[in-house]
Amino acid sequence: MQRKARIKVEKLTYHYGSGQPVLKNISFETGKGECIALIGQNGAGKTTLAKHFNGLHRPSSGKVYIDGIDTTSMKVSELARKVGFVFQNPDHQIFHDTVAREVAFGLRNLRLSRREIEERTAAALEAVGLTEHCRTYPFNLSKGQRQRIALASVLAMQTETIVLDEPTTGQDFRESVQIMEIVRKLNENGHTIIFITHDMSLVARYARRVLVLCRGEILADGDVRSVFAAPEILKKTYLRPPQITNLARCLGRHSIPPDVLGVRELYELLVKMRSEKIGCCS
Amino acid sequence: MAAVAEYISRNSPIHRLNPLTKMIWALSILGVGLLFNDYRYLLALLASVLLVAAAAGVLRSLLPAAAGLTVFALILLLIQALFYGQGQVLFYLVPVSNRLAVTGPGLLSGIAMAARMMALVLSFLIFLATTRTRDIVLTLVEKLKVPYDYAFMFMTALRFIPAFFSEVRQVSEAQQARAYAVEGWNPVKKIRAYAPVAVPLVLLSLNKADQLAMAMETRGYSGGLRTCLREAKMGVADYGLSVLLALLLVGSAAARLAGYGLM
Ligand SMILES: Nc1ncnc2c1ncn2[C@@H]1O[C@H](COP(=O)(O)OP(=O)(O)OP(=O)(O)O)[C@@H](O)[C@H]1O
Ligand SMILES: [Mg+2]
Repeated sequence: MQRKARIKVEKLTYHYGSGQPVLKNISFETGKGECIALIGQNGAGKTTLAKHFNGLHRPSSGKVYIDGIDTTSMKVSELARKVGFVFQNPDHQIFHDTVAREVAFGLRNLRLSRREIEERTAAALEAVGLTEHCRTYPFNLSKGQRQRIALASVLAMQTETIVLDEPTTGQDFRESVQIMEIVRKLNENGHTIIFITHDMSLVARYARRVLVLCRGEILADGDVRSVFAAPEILKKTYLRPPQITNLARCLGRHSIPPDVLGVRELYELLVKMRSEKIGCCS
Repeated sequence: MAAVAEYISRNSPIHRLNPLTKMIWALSILGVGLLFNDYRYLLALLASVLLVAAAAGVLRSLLPAAAGLTVFALILLLIQALFYGQGQVLFYLVPVSNRLAVTGPGLLSGIAMAARMMALVLSFLIFLATTRTRDIVLTLVEKLKVPYDYAFMFMTALRFIPAFFSEVRQVSEAQQARAYAVEGWNPVKKIRAYAPVAVPLVLLSLNKADQLAMAMETRGYSGGLRTCLREAKMGVADYGLSVLLALLLVGSAAARLAGYGLM
């Protein structure tokens, strides 16, 4: 029983114009329903790689398949039905006079019926918590709110795969968590998620798999726990595991596993350990 | 598109020249180009400009721009060849009915026009590609006594071009990712279809102008007397070249008065 790959990248190399390659010989696959974090230092090539998933970049050599179809043979506007992309800067896309119209833009491009458009717009605005702003002029909202308009406009398209390029930059902690909770829900509903971020605690909390990029190469690809348990590798791309994982690692000698991801998890381990110790002493 | 009107970092003798010398060079090309209208002279001028580009190591980066220019050059050539109207007819563009005659002198004058246009524009692009913006401003203000406001305005406008193109790309990418496609041949529809790209661009540009103004004020723009940290020195090569270029220009003018290089 072979699981069909949603995105399959084969020996992808890419360079801008005639410059040095920005991505070098990258290969990986994602299955349906995965939640992947793409991390790496500034300029590692994360955005460049992600733009291959919806055809905005075409490989200089190698192949990218979406649902088994080679992207070179498809237009970006066609691929947009399969892969949604939330950009770093929402101001590159907003041009309508109300939030609701902005969200509906993609749906009208998909030529959906009017009722369907209205329903999906309402649902997407509800999901990002902007329902009461549906008639507001987008530029009267804060940058963080505009970021959520951009997110809603992609949500509404209900693509199977959703790519988010640093969706939480410039958001306060509460809004970051809100956005990531939306992402988690999408993932639970079966969407494949790929998100780019510099916030390791978000990775620990929300991703199941991590792709670490360093100067255009994949440094590590695997389970969040196993990647964070090897800080030497992360260091090469100037990343550090979340503090709680570091703490667990330092405590490691006292039989705490080095791949702890959450505060709660460590707390429970500590409590358990204490009770075991007490158990053995008495 | 990306390399148009942008500094390209190399370590060539051309890059090391004083901006003023390069400015004189570009102006000499302009002068010589306008003096003559013989196609041989102008093709030679174009060749010399390309040689300078090669010497500066920016020829390859300028090729896309040059390719873009050839389109205009061909249009010029066509118009000139068609409407010159004198001399022996070489062939007809519409052979059946003997319409749209192309004459020998018309063709040659078309070539001359095209070569002149390419030489002038490329020399300006080479000047920009081999000279840092801040050095241009410095020269304009210190050496040529252009008021700083005007020099600054001019350079900001130039800097805006590459930034604008990169923004055009980003905005159209963002809209395409939302399944947006310019379709069909209906011109009205086409113009309306540009709104998704044009509107964010205008908003971004206004925003940028606003931020630029604020950034300038916070950094003390027009705060009184300006002093310069760096000084653009004229070297021996600069003086030598400037004199040579001046001689070339005078020589060309003399040649032209003596009747050379005319057709
Ligand atoms: N349009 C472009 N033209 C030329 N080079 C580019 C372009 N965009 C990006 N690059 C280069 O490609 C490399 C990778 O850029 P990319 O934007 O993919 O990095 P990133 O990992 O997304 O970084 P960040 O965390 O800062 O968003 C960088 O070295 C950058 O200089
Ligand atoms: Mg990026």
